[in-house]
Amino acid sequence: MIEIKNLSVRLGDFSLNDINLTILDREYFVLLGPTGAGKTILVECIAGLCRFRKGKLWIDENDVTPLPPEERQIGYVPQDYCLFPFLNVLNNIIFGMKEKRVEKDKMRQQVETLAPLLGISHLLNRDVRTLSGGEKQRVALARALAVSPRILLLDEPLSSIDVRTAKCLRQELRRLHEELGMTTIHVTHNLGEAGELADRIAVLNMGKLEQVGTPEEVFFYPQSETVSDFLGTAGFPRRVRGTNLTIY
Amino acid sequence: MKNGKSHVLKALTGERAFKAATISVLALLTLFFTGIVLSMMVYTDWDTLFSTLISREILFAIRLSLTTATIATVISIVIAIPVAYAISQTEFPGKDIIDTILDLPIVISPIALGAALLVFFNTPIGAGIENRVMRFVFEVPGIVLAQFTVVSALAVRLLKSTFDSIDPRYEQVGRTLGCSKLKAFLRVTLPLAKDGLIAAGILTWARAVGEFGATVMLAGATKMKTETLPIAIFLNLATADVEKAVAVIFILIAISASALIVLRRISGKRWQI
Repeated sequence: MIEIKNLSVRLGDFSLNDINLTILDREYFVLLGPTGAGKTILVECIAGLCRFRKGKLWIDENDVTPLPPEERQIGYVPQDYCLFPFLNVLNNIIFGMKEKRVEKDKMRQQVETLAPLLGISHLLNRDVRTLSGGEKQRVALARALAVSPRILLLDEPLSSIDVRTAKCLRQELRRLHEELGMTTIHVTHNLGEAGELADRIAVLNMGKLEQVGTPEEVFFYPQSETVSDFLGTAGFPRRVRGTNLTIY
Repeated sequence: MKNGKSHVLKALTGERAFKAATISVLALLTLFFTGIVLSMMVYTDWDTLFSTLISREILFAIRLSLTTATIATVISIVIAIPVAYAISQTEFPGKDIIDTILDLPIVISPIALGAALLVFFNTPIGAGIENRVMRFVFEVPGIVLAQFTVVSALAVRLLKSTFDSIDPRYEQVGRTLGCSKLKAFLRVTLPLAKDGLIAAGILTWARAVGEFGATVMLAGATKMKTETLPIAIFLNLATADVEKAVAVIFILIAISASALIVLRRISGKRWQI
């Protein structure tokens, strides 16, 4: 479980203000919001890549606020995957394991498990610069999962992939999550992606957490004008939760 | 319709004229540089050139130039890596001022830099270094120091642009995969900067080989002692030994041209992903 309490960050003119969030174990949690909402910064705070001036972060009831990224046991897939171009696919996947001095047998075992799971067994000796967008995404996922993280952070993982491939990969991400049961935080501005993948969604706007709930709750009962505007439901009739009232 | 056709024709003519004008200027400049090199051939007696090339004095100058330039380059690059990384990737107060100070050696005349070094070694601190640590004034270490002073800023500038071009997310991914900050730098950023590092090394070295102004001020121009290739040109022209000077110029051109060819080959296969 991830618990974020009163998290505030200031980066130049932008700030994340007083974020309070609980992400449950094995949950597929989507951070949704328009560009510049602060989604990536929040994910970077969880990963330990961005220092926050106020607030606390707990992972599995351990206070990880002062811990550097390498000690947080987090798998991170950035927007453009950032595969290391000076290493082939296999060496990209085992990079983290080498760093953590995992035994060679265990390393081989991990690759033999992950490569078929992600459908990249045939790519292991390829130069990463020759991979397609979808292949890069799978390799980046394998690299992040290879170090057996407790949490998987995906920053706009499908944004630079064509619509058809992205659709296939959404299903694969969901399948992977069900198979591995790993707590996953997925950043996106795409409503369809959020609706299809999320167990719960948090809507962020201009550094403020606007709403947290299941896809149904967020899409059918937006709690503020901002969320409603972002979802494009402004002006649509919607029910007020817990009542029989409908707002037109 | 007729109007439309004449408009297209006019645009095409304008485009061609512009292309012709830029290519003409390009041809003139290339001709100018080639002309300078070719003009030396008029002066060259090839038999004298080859005998000069293997003369004791010129072989000494080649050896001294290559050795001192290599040492100055290694020191410059080793120092420039952390400096350029700090300027490129870190925010700290006074960064702009420090960045400007580091750029000064690029714009200041090398003779002025050499003179400033000479003045420094006349101060109590400089004299202390001269007497207790190492002698620089009119000595070979002075050549290395002069070359380092001129080329280190160039190395910093080149490496800064290399680090600027590397997405910091690569290093961040390295951190989440278990690397400390230092290890992420060594295992991720440095391999990503490999081509830039080699290019910076080559350009810095080529510039150090050709350094004259600061060297002549600090290390002097003593035959067979502090005689680097540029100083050999200066000394031989001063004694009206034009053929010897031309031979040395050819050597310098050959070194520079080789450096540029290697550089072009490297920059042609930069990492792209």
